[in-house]
Amino acid sequence: MAGGLALVYGVLGIFNLALGQLALVGGYGTWWLHASGIPLFPSLIGGMVIGTIVTWLTFEIAVAPFYRRDARIPLVTTIAWSMILDAAILLSFEERPRSILPGSKHFLPFDAVRINVEQIILIICTLAFVCGVAWVLHATPFGRKVRATVQHADAARSLGISSSLLHRIVFIGSGILAACGGIYIGIDQNLTPTLAFPVTIKAYAAVIAGGKDNFWGTILAAYVIAMIEQFAVGTPWWFGNYISAGYQSVVALLFIIIVLLIKPTGLFSKTMRTT
Amino acid sequence: MRVGAAVLRPYTLTLMFFLLHLMSVIAIALPAQLGYTFVFGRGKILHFGPIGVSVVAAYGTFLTLNATGSFILGLCIGVLMAILFSLLFAWLSFRLDPDGLGVMSIAVYLTLFTIVLNWSELTRGALGLPRIPRLPFAESALSFTIVTSTICIAWVLFFLWLDRTKLARQVSALAEGEWYAKAMGISRVRAHLIAFLILGLTLASDNFFYAQYYHLLHPSDYYFPAFVSLLMITVAGKPGSTAGAIVATILLTVLKEGVRFLPFPTEVLGPLRLMLFGIILLAAVWIQRDTLFPKKRTI
Repeated sequence: MAGGLALVYGVLGIFNLALGQLALVGGYGTWWLHASGIPLFPSLIGGMVIGTIVTWLTFEIAVAPFYRRDARIPLVTTIAWSMILDAAILLSFEERPRSILPGSKHFLPFDAVRINVEQIILIICTLAFVCGVAWVLHATPFGRKVRATVQHADAARSLGISSSLLHRIVFIGSGILAACGGIYIGIDQNLTPTLAFPVTIKAYAAVIAGGKDNFWGTILAAYVIAMIEQFAVGTPWWFGNYISAGYQSVVALLFIIIVLLIKPTGLFSKTMRTT
Repeated sequence: MRVGAAVLRPYTLTLMFFLLHLMSVIAIALPAQLGYTFVFGRGKILHFGPIGVSVVAAYGTFLTLNATGSFILGLCIGVLMAILFSLLFAWLSFRLDPDGLGVMSIAVYLTLFTIVLNWSELTRGALGLPRIPRLPFAESALSFTIVTSTICIAWVLFFLWLDRTKLARQVSALAEGEWYAKAMGISRVRAHLIAFLILGLTLASDNFFYAQYYHLLHPSDYYFPAFVSLLMITVAGKPGSTAGAIVATILLTVLKEGVRFLPFPTEVLGPLRLMLFGIILLAAVWIQRDTLFPKKRTI
């Protein structure tokens, strides 16, 4: 999700604060299809398709009419759109937690520990996704266009790169990645409507801490945030005391705030080429 | 019921109480709304964390009040908390890009809110603080409305005066072209710091009365939609316009309070109100798209 956002910021120069809701749409879409009796794999595809359609609507309604006027306007319009999506999710699925695979977790015994099979599959899928995106960005003409636009939008346009089509594709691509994130949450944990904003903010914290338009910096920062979250809660800190699980997200956010106060451009910010 | 010499019928009484309720709610909300209009509407500062300041000011005020029984001490602590956290947001705004500030101010808000929600030994977590007393001279609905309306009018007069001051012109100039404004000797740090502090004080004032009015300080009043309401009114009332913010606050508060009379169950009314706010905000941005972030003037 954070990687998709980094691309959107790099290409369009905007923040999409409805991202968490787009993730939930993908997750809830999958849950709804699977709960209706459709097998898991077609449900996953269906959830991604639903996520894609809603992302496209998000772009056409909350982004496209405004972002060329001023890149700050989508920050407000996507908040408005996120409220609409939140309400639609609450009306359609209620506040109850929903799990795509309820009670069907499989564990592999490995020495003294048990490893969750679903989590291993999700980790492999994530790595495959990241490798796929890397291949698209670095080995295809489309990737070269994206990187050119990130580096210098005006120069790229003067070389004949159609910016409006590229913007749509990148934005919708980030929505598909968000939908995948929502599906992961629905498989690994539970989907609840209140998840959306913390998910969005954590993903953006990774983007800002990683250096805004730096895709790999963002991926690395996302892993750092996730590690801090997990280790902060599971480790005894002072006199054997643990940090309460309720503060899990606070620890990561505080880390990012401190990092940004020390280095506002992010941990891995790049200097742009100039003539 | 007998009020003076007149005997009021039940529906007249209900209507009167509803009007008093509306007046109180508007009077409580308006100062913070004007403060946010000054910061976001006039200054174009993407400060999306005012509810974070609200939550710490409110808990600071009423935890002190519960511990000491002193309204004055409670108010002082609330104001102090509002000032401290406004300074934190101001500092963030000086360190980050405008859009980075937008996202990180939400992150700070979420952090503060999560701490309040999880520090249940102190704040009672999701249960909130019940039985909040009202000021001794504002216990009845009428006297509470009179007190809040008086404070509100004082704030409105202050903002109408503020609009004509050098500070307001400096904040506008910085919003339009920061470098040009700086070249003319305007200190961004000074102007924005004062703007953040004014907003913090209005938020402290807002929260001092809000929990008293409902006799309850509850974390659910500080969820993100509370900020969306603030943002919606600022945009709908023409960004930066004090008069516009006053009219928008009155109209949208009446609408917000009026939604409760729609014939829907409560579990539908909440999301419906959320959707209505989202649509109004989107429509307001569409209508105000030229004034929200206007194009820089060129020669």
